[in-house]
Amino acid sequence: MVFFVLRRSFFAIVLLLIVSAFTFVIFSALPADPAALTCGKNCRPEVIESNRERLGYDRPLVEQYGAYMKGIFAGRTYGEEGSSIHCSAPSLGYSYDRHECVTTLIASTLPVTASIALGAFVLWMAIGVGLGTLAALKRGRWQDRVATAFSVIGVSLPTFFLGLIFIMVFVIWTGILPFPRYTGLTENPVDWFMSLLLPWFVLAIISAATYVRMTRNGILEVMNEEFVRLGIAKGLPRRRLIVTYVLRAALVPIVTIAGLDFAFLLGGALVTESIFNLPGLGKLTLAAVINSDLPILVATTMVSAVFIVVANTVVDILYGFLDPRVRVK
Amino acid sequence: MKMRSKVLAVVALVGLVAGACGGSGDGAQSGEESGGLSATMDGVKEGGTLYVLTNQEGASTLDPQRVYTGAELGAWGSTFTRTLTSYKPVAGKDGTSLVADMATDLGTASEDLKTWTFTLRDGLTWEDGSEVTCADIAYGVSRTFGSEVTAFEGPQYAVSYLDIPAGDYDTGSAYPGPWLATAEEQALFDEAVSCDGQNITFKLQVPVSDFAYTVSLLSFAPVPEAQDTADQYGLKPFSNGPFKVESYEEGKELVLVRNENWNADSDDVREPKVDKIVWQFGLDETVIDERMLADSGDDKNAIVYGGILPENLQTVFGDESLKDRRTDGFDGFVTYTMLNIKTVSCLEVRQALWLALDREALRTASGGPFTGEFATSFVAPLLAADYEPASLVEGLNADGTPNVEAAQAKMDEAKEKCPEVYAKATEDGLRFDHPDTDTWRKNIAIWIDSLGAVGVKINDNPIEASKYYATINGDQGDLMRAGWAADWANASTVIPELFGQGGGFNYHNNEEDPAFADFQSKVDEAKAETDRDAQSKLWKELNQVVIDQVWSIPGSATKSQNLVGSNVRGAYQWLPFGWYNLGAIGLAG
Repeated sequence: MVFFVLRRSFFAIVLLLIVSAFTFVIFSALPADPAALTCGKNCRPEVIESNRERLGYDRPLVEQYGAYMKGIFAGRTYGEEGSSIHCSAPSLGYSYDRHECVTTLIASTLPVTASIALGAFVLWMAIGVGLGTLAALKRGRWQDRVATAFSVIGVSLPTFFLGLIFIMVFVIWTGILPFPRYTGLTENPVDWFMSLLLPWFVLAIISAATYVRMTRNGILEVMNEEFVRLGIAKGLPRRRLIVTYVLRAALVPIVTIAGLDFAFLLGGALVTESIFNLPGLGKLTLAAVINSDLPILVATTMVSAVFIVVANTVVDILYGFLDPRVRVK
Repeated sequence: MKMRSKVLAVVALVGLVAGACGGSGDGAQSGEESGGLSATMDGVKEGGTLYVLTNQEGASTLDPQRVYTGAELGAWGSTFTRTLTSYKPVAGKDGTSLVADMATDLGTASEDLKTWTFTLRDGLTWEDGSEVTCADIAYGVSRTFGSEVTAFEGPQYAVSYLDIPAGDYDTGSAYPGPWLATAEEQALFDEAVSCDGQNITFKLQVPVSDFAYTVSLLSFAPVPEAQDTADQYGLKPFSNGPFKVESYEEGKELVLVRNENWNADSDDVREPKVDKIVWQFGLDETVIDERMLADSGDDKNAIVYGGILPENLQTVFGDESLKDRRTDGFDGFVTYTMLNIKTVSCLEVRQALWLALDREALRTASGGPFTGEFATSFVAPLLAADYEPASLVEGLNADGTPNVEAAQAKMDEAKEKCPEVYAKATEDGLRFDHPDTDTWRKNIAIWIDSLGAVGVKINDNPIEASKYYATINGDQGDLMRAGWAADWANASTVIPELFGQGGGFNYHNNEEDPAFADFQSKVDEAKAETDRDAQSKLWKELNQVVIDQVWSIPGSATKSQNLVGSNVRGAYQWLPFGWYNLGAIGLAG
């Protein structure tokens, strides 16, 4: 088992290195010129070239990538002596648009995104699995039809539309909730909760819709398994049968997908963060796209990739625990 | 100058609101509206929190030497960055009157207008209670030269005016700014900007009659060397005004709180009312408009930075109950299309381009009459002293529609008089440089269509937006899109900058035009003229020359519309900056 975990971790690291190199090359090939972005309207072409040289954008990509990777482990100094800025390790670059070390920006936005993702995840799992289970157990009845309708509507609704509707109804028209304004959990837990309530529900409704279907289908499939019929024949109480045997078996693939969805969300709930004005990783990425801020784009892409790769590895390892056949493979 | 989102970047300006206004057809109409009750101080109380809602992700910058957006120049100047001179904090034409701020008066000039001395007032303090010194001002001014940090973002008047030898640094100066200068290089700057107790003296390489206006720009604001964090200074600038920066996080908010160490006795310009100003960044524009229309809770204490969405203008200006909360007016900006006189040297061709252009279609594409009026001058209507509608090319339709017949007649004339340029325009085509934006992808189609009617071919040359000005600085097309607003209340920051020799944004190559020599000598005369009335007359004449020679085709004198919360008071349009006097806004109720 230890060897299996080490092997998976090693491959995860190799994959991350490949992703980082690929990301770096892709963004460097974009038409936006990072040297031009460091120069205002009064700039001249020769000044852009001078900036390119000063900031190292004229060096071969391999060399730039090497300096970037070195910065992650050893930190990096940007600019010239007298006006230089040092970004401590792990340095993911310096944004000349925001005048901040990218790591600092990510560190300040990640808790926001994590707060959104965590709350939304709990809600969508509760709603999705709960409604899905109800639909399966009440198959063909009105509860099933309501759950199915919820699923269809949820899947069809664009996030920005549902977000705007929520703001209009709960904030502007009825005034039940204040306009979301993110407050850190440690600053004021009540304000933190209130600022995230609407985004949590929007994400939960949209994501839960898929989970309702998956749970319903999973449970119905397991219900037809022989071990379930045996349980019924042996007179196992229905509640115990469902909770202990049916749900446990039906949820294994759902938990796997949920893990990946959660990791994906940690990379930034771009639309939700924008609609509710939550300064998370997604909003940081969106602003970087608009401003062609390449250091931020490279870093946020890599951070998102790390979440996905780590989640994938964790799921693989968990599978190894749950199913010995995976370890053998 | 920068444009972000809906906010038209206005670099400070200006004069009396003037000009008739076009109707927008049915329902609400575009016209001057000053804000009614919200522009007065009726019922205002001390204290409270003012909110500024914006869809921008952040300020362009809080760094005084880098800021070049009109509204922000006014906003930071009225709250946390004081300068030697400033503008009178009132609505209307009076608001363009220059007044002493940190200085005791508007300065003393030598006879040749090349040496200016200002005396600092007593009691000027920083937010930590320490004294604002002459050395702080000199240090602040020196930062503009450090282009590796300030990145050519702010006004470059310090570089072009101060008597420092030319050199090889990126600014073209022999002084590289405070961060990289050797002792010898620093001495060059210290010669040009010197301190003697409370007196600061600027030695200029050219005579400048309105240098007292120049030092009202935040690029001439003080910065204490000990607090300077170079590229990161804009994240937490040190305050010498009535407010200070408590926190600034792009994408989230900027919080300004009262500066307890601001000495009100040393400040005749600012009368702060609220305790706190909170800028909320990154809001969805639709949500902002809905919140402002609903006017509930804290939004009653809110103003907007960025205007009203075009689709909501009819609602806002069609509802009389909003009369006391809305404004509609010029923002000091004029858009235009530069012509490269070296390659389009034929006057008749240039006139034909103007006559054939469907200006109404261009205006409709960008939002209709609310976006502005057809410009009749390169000087904005707000710059009342220097503004006068020029006589435009004969045959130009006042409603902005093309006059194909007149344009074709000019082309026929050109065919005889200047066959080479005619052939270039009709066969090779004219290269049109513009930023590669959604707006300009639409606009260029209108240019191609309307000029095609007289046989002129347009070769579209979109340029990546962030590189646009740097690109045309090195390689000019035949036509180039641009926009401009005066840096201070004098057309000296318009006509010479856009059309004069060595003008920072003159890409016309118009020195090739036979009319240029006379034009330039009159520009020099106007710059040195100390009689303001005589100077205004010269600017108007010079504007007429540009119009007659069609060195540029004027586009629109742009306008902006705003809506404020019902508790907001003192939200008048401060004409020099094309936005509110932020630091003077108070709250009622």
